[in-house]
Amino acid sequence: MIDESVRWLDDRLGVAKGGRTLLDKIFPDHWSFMLGEIALYSFVVLIATGVFLSLYYIPSAHEVVYHGSYLPLRGTRVSEAYSSSVGLSFDVKSGLLMRQTHHWAADVFLGSIAVHMARIFFTGAFRKPRELNWIVGITMLMLGIVNGFLGYSLPDDLVSGTGIRIAYSIIESIPLVGSYLGFFLFGGNYPGNGIIIPRFYILHVLILPVIIGGLIAVHLGLLVKQKHTQFPGKGKTEHNVVGTPMFPTFAAKTTGFMFMTSAVLLLLGGFAQINPIWQFGQYEPFQISYAVQPDWYMGWLDGALRIMPSWEWVGWGHTIPLEIFLPAIVFAGLTFNFFYLWPHIEKRHTKDLASHELLDRPRDRPKRTAFGAAMLMFYFMLFCASSTDVMANFFNVSLNTVLWTFRVIVFALPVITYFVTYRICNEMRAAEGIGKRKRAMVVSRSETGEYSTVSTEPRPGDGAHELDAIPVPTYINLTPEELETGPGVRRVMR
Amino acid sequence: MRSLFRGRYLVPALLLVSVGLFGLLVFSPGSSSAASGSSAPTAGSSGAGLKTSTGQFPQTPGASSSPSQSPSGDGIYNVPLPRSFIAPGQALFAANCASCHGGDAAGTERAPNLLSLGAGTVDFWVSTGRMPLADSSIQATTKPPRFNKLQSLEISAYVQSLAPGGVKVPVVNLSNANVGKGAELFTLNCAACHTITGAGDALANGAYAPTLHYASSRQIVEAIRSGPGNMPHFGPGNISNAEMRDITAYVHSYIQHPVNRGGFGLGGIGPVGEGFVGLLIGVGALMLVCFWIGDRT
Amino acid sequence: MSDESVTAEPAGPLPIGSLDDPHQQPYARHPGRAQAVAAVSLIIGILGCIGFGIAYWISDQTQWEAITLGVGLLGLGFGLTAWGKYLMAQGPFVEDRHPHNSSEEEVKAMTAAITQRGGIVVGRRKLLGGLFAFGSLAFGVVAAFPLIRSLGPKPGNALFVTTWKKNSPLVTSDGRPVHQNDLEVGGVLTVFPKGFAGSSPDQTILLRIEELTAEDPPLTLTSPGRSDWTALGYVAYSKMCTHLGCPVGLYQEQTVELVCPCHQSIFNVLAGAVPEFGPAPRPLPQLPIKVVNGFLFAQGGYNQAIGPGFWERP
Repeated sequence: MIDESVRWLDDRLGVAKGGRTLLDKIFPDHWSFMLGEIALYSFVVLIATGVFLSLYYIPSAHEVVYHGSYLPLRGTRVSEAYSSSVGLSFDVKSGLLMRQTHHWAADVFLGSIAVHMARIFFTGAFRKPRELNWIVGITMLMLGIVNGFLGYSLPDDLVSGTGIRIAYSIIESIPLVGSYLGFFLFGGNYPGNGIIIPRFYILHVLILPVIIGGLIAVHLGLLVKQKHTQFPGKGKTEHNVVGTPMFPTFAAKTTGFMFMTSAVLLLLGGFAQINPIWQFGQYEPFQISYAVQPDWYMGWLDGALRIMPSWEWVGWGHTIPLEIFLPAIVFAGLTFNFFYLWPHIEKRHTKDLASHELLDRPRDRPKRTAFGAAMLMFYFMLFCASSTDVMANFFNVSLNTVLWTFRVIVFALPVITYFVTYRICNEMRAAEGIGKRKRAMVVSRSETGEYSTVSTEPRPGDGAHELDAIPVPTYINLTPEELETGPGVRRVMR
Repeated sequence: MRSLFRGRYLVPALLLVSVGLFGLLVFSPGSSSAASGSSAPTAGSSGAGLKTSTGQFPQTPGASSSPSQSPSGDGIYNVPLPRSFIAPGQALFAANCASCHGGDAAGTERAPNLLSLGAGTVDFWVSTGRMPLADSSIQATTKPPRFNKLQSLEISAYVQSLAPGGVKVPVVNLSNANVGKGAELFTLNCAACHTITGAGDALANGAYAPTLHYASSRQIVEAIRSGPGNMPHFGPGNISNAEMRDITAYVHSYIQHPVNRGGFGLGGIGPVGEGFVGLLIGVGALMLVCFWIGDRT
Repeated sequence: MSDESVTAEPAGPLPIGSLDDPHQQPYARHPGRAQAVAAVSLIIGILGCIGFGIAYWISDQTQWEAITLGVGLLGLGFGLTAWGKYLMAQGPFVEDRHPHNSSEEEVKAMTAAITQRGGIVVGRRKLLGGLFAFGSLAFGVVAAFPLIRSLGPKPGNALFVTTWKKNSPLVTSDGRPVHQNDLEVGGVLTVFPKGFAGSSPDQTILLRIEELTAEDPPLTLTSPGRSDWTALGYVAYSKMCTHLGCPVGLYQEQTVELVCPCHQSIFNVLAGAVPEFGPAPRPLPQLPIKVVNGFLFAQGGYNQAIGPGFWERP
């Protein structure tokens, strides 16, 4: 039966040869190469749960009377967006599970992208020939952050509505065109004519997911075409890939991993409450709650907004609110531009224009590793700064203390991190036998009383063994020359 | 299979579990415990004619009771305290309060004038344990009250007897409250300081808005009317008695016993707690799975 | 570089996965045990999924749905992964990498194809090439018009005015007019102009600092020229924060400060809501108010644009 199916397809599409190439593709097995898969399968869960949600959610700011199960809201006038979101949480079977799983999947999606991006950075996998894939990845990170913001703003609740107000003000702060862009996007002065919810909706469910999905296809396609990188080791060179074949081993492991990722997200979605919008109430522009932050992947921007001093430039009849424009537009733009340009920056700095298929151990590039660690610390400090009020409450200190502390450590801690990391990398490289099991020392005493030590033999199995490079079993016995070709057909070497 | 339990997984797994548990414990509100926990351990009789009833509230969505308009009466009754409370109150006051507030409760350089603040104000501060206060340079916190309910009322009766006026001790009947209206009023008037989930948060100049998870109905009403510390005063012209009853019912029900249909509440401090959980537990657990599936070389 | 190895075996399909091949060996030292564990895991997975089916029908509890489906998928996933990791061929297998670039001749031929074929054609018809390029540019520019301009109205002066004007009555968010006795000292209330309760740009915060009568001197605010903007101890400011537009709803009555809950800008009320801490750049605009027949009215609108800064703001 398999034979017939393969023939059927091959007669029409010629899939046999290319298909086998695909099945034979070798994937190296290091655990850190699976971090991108966490992101991929979180995206799959997002699509699956998102389709479910889209069948119930109503993207409209039009007011209706809530008639659902949650009593404090019953009889009140709320937007259809809010009403349908609360309805999903209380009155649709398994609706809350899907909603929460969707939200957790978004958080984990972006978290795993961050971890995956860090792995790529620290091992130098962005170098030639993979700069293009790096650019695709950064673009997906950016679009993912935006899509996440749009998504959690859809329920039109008090907490996310505050975020929309802040987004409007950020747009408005752009010199020359800010007020125009704000009015265009929202359909008028804030809160606009209600069109913002349907616009967020179509961006969130169609426009951005299609772009992200397409980019994922490009990302994976480039990965398959260029083959995966690998760490140096016995038998691994710049000219081969060592690992397990796509079918059946890798397919089994990765499909199993997909199930496990979905399981973890579902368990989070059922047991860890996230975004309980019914407790927040419908958004009203003149109401506010304390202890409000954006979702974690926007936290670095909120932290930057909080610690920024209140500089505002006023002159010649115009205002540029630098306390908004600098952290939210300029800094964010610099961040992503810097990420995009990093392969180029590193090339300029190291003068290394060669192609790399083998990865660096992070410790072998101490400057890059230290710099990356410092940047991670910088953005992490900004993320922590988005909860200054909660921290002041938790640690029983004043808001002023917390704010000034963050203003200092946001710059001080990354600098310290750089030097500490640099030192650690160098020490790890310099140490003999680091990471290997210690060997016993045999102490002997000479007749004159001197002590001397000798290392024992390595334990069996401790030494590195040679990797026999055996190609994937092939089932075509004909040499390339013996393959028949017809007239006018060019034979392409595999 | 044994490799799953070898040391190299044990440490990260233990780390994940302990951090996760710590996070869940720290971020979960204590609201599942008794709502009136801050009332003093009772010592005997409840005094003449005093009734407090906890409001009924719908526990599960779709329950039979529905919010109704109050037909008459707004649920807040200011019953004057019995004259028999004044003498024991004076004794308690002299022993515990006069050293800072003065024997005549008119204040010293250490503590403010209590005259005309009213019995309700005094009862709030004493029954929540804020008074007696050791250090007046920082904002008073709720602590285990030194006096039980009866003693608190006695002290309040004494102070009230010294000067008229101020906030009275209320008897709160929540049975006709409209929690829907209460939710709206809470959001407009209270959420900006106490947060929308009543978790409390830090204010300027070292002050803070406390959590609402432990206040009794009476304390809530007393606080709204007397505006302790930096809290604004909400008089009847701003929040009527009926509205106050609705807010109190909402706090007593949906704030102190939130509908956490989705699982652990994660503290109600906003998405920062969720980010913590999502990254450490979500991404962390999946990274542990990666450790298991993949190679280390 | 040869791509396939040429084997010496006779033509015809090879036996696939011969267990004697050392690279087809499973990872597990006790494959039987590994299979048992994977099997148990898959069985748990099946039970979990069936459990979800049951939980879906009989319970409305998110937690039951999650534990059953979660354990089900976890079991299936763990079983499949364990099968793949412990029981399938682990290799190591090796695949050759080919250089990414084509041969030098191919690259030259590609470049030539574009430059020579294309260059010759365009070089001969420079006018057409230029016109088409210009046309594409023109299209690109005008295509942006419907995409951007049709979205919404121009701001005009909408950011500079609110609905507040002379003699606007102050009302609560329920539309109830505000009486001079409504707020006690230390009271706070959100107010709007009559007919526009709930309108975002008009949101105003009304504070009672002291209880003054008409005969008492007015509140002393340290901002000059505004002593007659208060009434009977009432003062009103725009509730829209000058940082990012959040409602400044947090009032500390002892320290007489307004705090914005979003990014903790602190405004000194008695100094004219001047920001003393945090990122807000400008004071909250003050609404001049008066009391007529016991009710509060505005003396006029705000004297400046409210809310966050923007380019056209002078």
